[in-house]
Amino acid sequence: MTTTPEPTADVIAERISRFLEERTKTSFAVDTDVFASGGVNSLFAMELVVFLEEAFDVEIAGSDLRLDNMRTVTAMTALVQRLRAEDAAEAGDAGDGAGRG
Amino acid sequence: MADGTAVAGPAAGPAADPAAGPDRLRAVAAELVDDSAADAWDRAGRIPEETVRTAGAQGLMAAQIPRRYGGPGLSSADNGELTAFVGSRCSSLRSLMTSQGMAAWTVQRLGERQQRAALLPRLAGGAQAAVAFSEPEAGSDLSAMATRIEPDGDSVVVTGEKVWITAACYADLLVVFGRYGDGAAAVVVPATAPGVTVERVPEPMGCRAAGHAHLRLDGVRVPAGDVLGGAGQSTDLLVGTALSYGRMSVAWGCVGILRGCLAAVGRHARTRQQFGKPLAGHQLVARHVAELLAAEQTATRACAHASHCWDTRSPEMVSATVLAKYVSSRQAAAGAATAVQVLASAGARDGHPVARAYRDAKLMEIIEGSSEICELLLAEHALSVYT
Repeated sequence: MTTTPEPTADVIAERISRFLEERTKTSFAVDTDVFASGGVNSLFAMELVVFLEEAFDVEIAGSDLRLDNMRTVTAMTALVQRLRAEDAAEAGDAGDGAGRG
Repeated sequence: MADGTAVAGPAAGPAADPAAGPDRLRAVAAELVDDSAADAWDRAGRIPEETVRTAGAQGLMAAQIPRRYGGPGLSSADNGELTAFVGSRCSSLRSLMTSQGMAAWTVQRLGERQQRAALLPRLAGGAQAAVAFSEPEAGSDLSAMATRIEPDGDSVVVTGEKVWITAACYADLLVVFGRYGDGAAAVVVPATAPGVTVERVPEPMGCRAAGHAHLRLDGVRVPAGDVLGGAGQSTDLLVGTALSYGRMSVAWGCVGILRGCLAAVGRHARTRQQFGKPLAGHQLVARHVAELLAAEQTATRACAHASHCWDTRSPEMVSATVLAKYVSSRQAAAGAATAVQVLASAGARDGHPVARAYRDAKLMEIIEGSSEICELLLAEHALSVYT
């Protein structure tokens, strides 16, 4: 079990914004729809999923795999926080949630 | 081979065998298929059911299913080399691996926790699956899918028509994509469910034993719980997620086609004598051999890079997968044509591995996103990166 403190919403949002800017060379406000700009393509949502999973050690599957969850920095931050909270609540549960795809 | 067996627990799957690693699976594949078996299956248009069943039960068909679900849990790189190995001998059997693996990946990504826990051990244990995207009016443009998945109480009713569904003739389970509400969904339909008609594609040009079929779904009723994940979401995201596994698998399969061609060309060019020396001694033939090697290496590198992105969970895996599929399928189609050119009359007949490779490889430029669709995706990607 890690002893690192849980990242705050600001830390998560900052990391996501940095990825968006590195990848698209565009700076997005936290509530700007990244898909509305036309500057990102249809594969980009899938890239965002992989990025979020790897950067924040979460799994985005099933009903969480929706565009609305990836639309803004704020939405992505909320998703990451919720998934991390769910994982923490299930920690120690030896069931299916232990691993990730 | 529709089996009514209960869901197999993880302990019953290949993971129960500690030696279910890439080497063992390669040995399983080597025993199941060689050039002469592949030729016989190609001519018959069918792989024996026993072979399909054994491959499934041994974990060959979807070797990336994680161990916790009873699968072999191979990395993308190891599964890729395994896929290439099978692909070097038989693209039909490799196509079944692609379908099975794509079905498992779809369940893994789109399925909710309890769906993954119920379905993945079945797929790891050998229940064969096919994934149904394309329709008469929806090929490259999957947003035009007309198949409907409609809620009705505790059930959903699936109505539509699917075409060219690889592996459907062997399938116990069909993962069917369709319209659901404002978006799309995937639903798991038993092939034996009332209202499902599976009609074999009579004479496919390539991968002739891969069990391609047209499906008719005539008001097929299944439990609402068999709709994967949250239905009604973006078609691009759902379909794109499912297809990414298929593209990776096809790409590695094409590496296999090129390796099979190299082997056949090598044997022939060393032994066949013309103008008083082996073919390989003629510079124009030597160039063909060099080009074939360059094709195999180019495809291998593109696939290895994409698999590395999968295994390290890099966001680049998305574009690298499209690139690998694009590069590998084009190299395979060109390389197989080169191989036929070198073999000439010796290879220009049904029953020769290079003739089979030539027919199979061409289909790989069409399936799982045509070369042109890949070009559109790659161009968009390039424009978003190089701004």
